[in-house]
Amino acid sequence: MTVDPNAATQFFQPEPPRRASGAARYLIPALVAAAVAVALGVYGKVHDPAGTAFNLAGFSSTAAVKSWLATTAFFFALVQLVSAFMVYGKLPGPSWASTLHRWSGRIAFLVAVPVAVHCLYALGYQTYETRVLLHSILGCFFFGAFSAKMLLLRSERLPGWLLPLVGGLVFTALTVIWLTSALWFFRTFGVTT
Amino acid sequence: MKRPGPLLTMLAGLLLGVFMLSLNATTGTKNVASTKKEPPPAASASPSPAKPAQSPSPSPTRTRVPVPNADYAGRTDDDSSAVAVAVHDGKAVAYFCDGRTKESWLKGDVKDDGSMRLTGKNGDSLTGTLKEGKRIRGTVDVAGGHYAFTADKAKKPGGLYRATATVRGAKVDGGWIVLPGGRQVGIVTRDEEPSAAPSIDPETGAVTVDGQQLTARPVTP
Repeated sequence: MTVDPNAATQFFQPEPPRRASGAARYLIPALVAAAVAVALGVYGKVHDPAGTAFNLAGFSSTAAVKSWLATTAFFFALVQLVSAFMVYGKLPGPSWASTLHRWSGRIAFLVAVPVAVHCLYALGYQTYETRVLLHSILGCFFFGAFSAKMLLLRSERLPGWLLPLVGGLVFTALTVIWLTSALWFFRTFGVTT
Repeated sequence: MKRPGPLLTMLAGLLLGVFMLSLNATTGTKNVASTKKEPPPAASASPSPAKPAQSPSPSPTRTRVPVPNADYAGRTDDDSSAVAVAVHDGKAVAYFCDGRTKESWLKGDVKDDGSMRLTGKNGDSLTGTLKEGKRIRGTVDVAGGHYAFTADKAKKPGGLYRATATVRGAKVDGGWIVLPGGRQVGIVTRDEEPSAAPSIDPETGAVTVDGQQLTARPVTP
């Protein structure tokens, strides 16, 4: 069985594809993604990190709060993975699987944003360890890949493999980001709040 | 007809990010005025306009204190040892450390022209000059040795850290220099007996000495 990935999340009939914007459909998301990733990295590198000591909107221990927010994001990312399989019919799922996919994605993204802001503002783009380097690179890559995914969703008649591929990249990036930060934090300092 | 959902999601994330960032910037400025935080003043003196532009009130440190608060870290010219200097409100603390046996803590005042003469135990001394707010060039005399050094302005987590504690009855005093690039040089002294220090986590200052978890804190004069 083949499923059109757009059909499942669509409440209306798609227009016939516009041939004029063929290349732009891929080029614009790719360029935006690159711009977002590079901009975050450059900001993290150029901006003088403010240090870890600052407090923000009632956060008691920033590292612990970040770890929990990241874990929340990772949990919703797992929901994303499962619900994506449901949307594509690879797993049996309820009729509201696409709604679940959309909203779990939004929550995961919105929960990840404060973490990223704190990382970039307080710590910056760092390279002093493999773990840290990997985390810095993938942190920037994640938001770029996410932007690409969002923009690609707006295009119709994409090759069937493209959205799963980009979505998989976003998921993989978030997983490694979580492994190199929150999991490391919990293993080093214990599961604290 | 195109779906607006994904764009709205991105917009919401962007707004949230900008909101948190402005919140951070305001909080950071308040901290500059009320607490002894060193990084924001250092940032305001740096050529990057990003942060001061976000602050609602321009930081007054640039005009009042000619020497900006910052950490400097680097190596001696013979590459045998590391030197770090923490400058805050016209005072400085310096740490010289070869990572094995030789270390010295020094302190003193920084003049408005950026020159400093710091002194430590047993007649140890350091003379240096802050050049263009970017690096300190000078010499150290420690335990009969004479070393020239250059210490560049350190970005977090680079800088100078210290941890003191009593572990199983022994007085433990650790000093760490985190160099630009992340390499660390440190010595832990147990009851006056110096030895190479285990590395600290530069983000949190966490370090385990003889099975005891300690926290190394940034040094301020």
